[in-house]
Amino acid sequence: MVTIMTTCTGIPMPTEINSAPSVGSSRALLHLLHLTSPSLPIGGFAYSQGLEYAIDSGWITTDSELQQWLQGVLGEGMARLELPLLLRFAEAYRQKDEGAVNYWNHWLLANRETKELLFEDQQLGLALRRLLVSLAVIETDDRLPAEPSYCSQFARAAGHYGVSDSEMLTGFAWAWLENQIAVACKTLPLGQTAAQQLMMRLLPVIDQAVATAQRLPDDRLGATLPGVALASSLHETQYSRLFRS
Amino acid sequence: MNQALVQPETVTAGYGRERRWCARLTLGFEPRHGRTALPHLAHEGPLRVQRPFYPEGPVCHVYLLHPPGGLVSGDQLAIGAELAERSGALITTPSAGKIYKGDSCGVSQYQQVNLRLAADSTLEWLPQETILYDGALGHSDTRVDLTGNARFVGWELICLGRPASRIRFDNGRFVQKTQLYRDGLPLLLEQQHLQAGSALANECWGLQGYPQVGSLYAVGFNQEPSALLEQLRASLEPLIGNHLRVAITWRRGVLVARLLGQDSEQARHCFTRLWQQIRPALLQREALIPRIWLT
Repeated sequence: MVTIMTTCTGIPMPTEINSAPSVGSSRALLHLLHLTSPSLPIGGFAYSQGLEYAIDSGWITTDSELQQWLQGVLGEGMARLELPLLLRFAEAYRQKDEGAVNYWNHWLLANRETKELLFEDQQLGLALRRLLVSLAVIETDDRLPAEPSYCSQFARAAGHYGVSDSEMLTGFAWAWLENQIAVACKTLPLGQTAAQQLMMRLLPVIDQAVATAQRLPDDRLGATLPGVALASSLHETQYSRLFRS
Repeated sequence: MNQALVQPETVTAGYGRERRWCARLTLGFEPRHGRTALPHLAHEGPLRVQRPFYPEGPVCHVYLLHPPGGLVSGDQLAIGAELAERSGALITTPSAGKIYKGDSCGVSQYQQVNLRLAADSTLEWLPQETILYDGALGHSDTRVDLTGNARFVGWELICLGRPASRIRFDNGRFVQKTQLYRDGLPLLLEQQHLQAGSALANECWGLQGYPQVGSLYAVGFNQEPSALLEQLRASLEPLIGNHLRVAITWRRGVLVARLLGQDSEQARHCFTRLWQQIRPALLQREALIPRIWLT
């Protein structure tokens, strides 16, 4: 995967980069692998979304408790927030509907329950926008939206590269899962093999989350997860920590 | 308390799915002669206010009354308050709100709150907790619209079941929506579809099986009130443990405290302590416990 990314970013061929591949092509797959790679230089590895606190405070001590946590965040949180928002951003960019991009971006940021969850979304969004500018996906002075959330930029890139909507959601959820597992490997006693097995057990939850996201109407979007919000708030004052959220 | 309203089983033919009992209360506050008056007051159905009173000078204190004491299926309460420029009010309730067991037709119970604050106005929205009886089908929808430098502090305290009587919230649902806007842009949006007995109710990432669930919001600080946040966190130290979990954060101009707990008295005490410290910092008013809470 690292090789693919180096190749993609290492050869400056603006005409190639700017050409939008057709939806569902293998080029689109390569672009999705690039966007969801843990080595995408936007700093995603630095955030735990409250998981570090939940582990540090003893809320999560075993593989199965970790699985419950990830299943809940994915199935009840992400399925009702990030994933359906990606769909709305993708559609808004396709329609070049600035009003809709801005509306959903404000909406998403207002749904961030804590300082650190908001900060993470803003930082990843800015970092991804910078990367997309450097890859000539968007213009330097393109400020749509002005305070870009990570989801807005992810959807924008996915749309540009011809990634289909459902693959965009699947890739986004997979990247999140891989990152959360990496957090757990550094903070729980969780071995590499157990981590891989856990990820495989959670694949069906990704499928379900993507399916849920695709059928939610606007008035059913958003899901506050009190335990995650508490963990994330308490992480702000956690004495010793590896992660920024 | 009206027994006909609190015992859904007495309800017979003529009700059913279409049952709808609306009650509405609209309050309009304005500054008059150096204090905030309540010149606009409209109500329909069983929702009232006591005569406003002034225990601390200019701020208008108002108690909301719902004589039936709780919501049964088909009840739809709509409460609105509008604060004109430079007005200030504190609204609370004399007792806990109740949402009783829903009827066999599954007709929901709704409470809708709309609070609109003009520039330079202040509002404290401090209702006592809402108790969800086992089998309740409650919906709560709260929207606060602030203009410019309006300041707001408010809380929502929910009690799932009646833990003091060892009655759990094993059936039913509670749909809760909270929205804070300033100048038309959303500052905070929260939505929760809680099904009794669900993973959301019991898991560590959700309500962790706690029956008390609360959120407190304070908006209108010019900048992040770092010293206050530190003070609030320190004041929580002696209160929190496995019986009461509380955390404070600051995001998008809103100070948010979230609470999960075992005991409604402790939850109320905790939020009162936080409000007593927020009040002088945000509103430059001494914390004065509304007398009605002490009765």
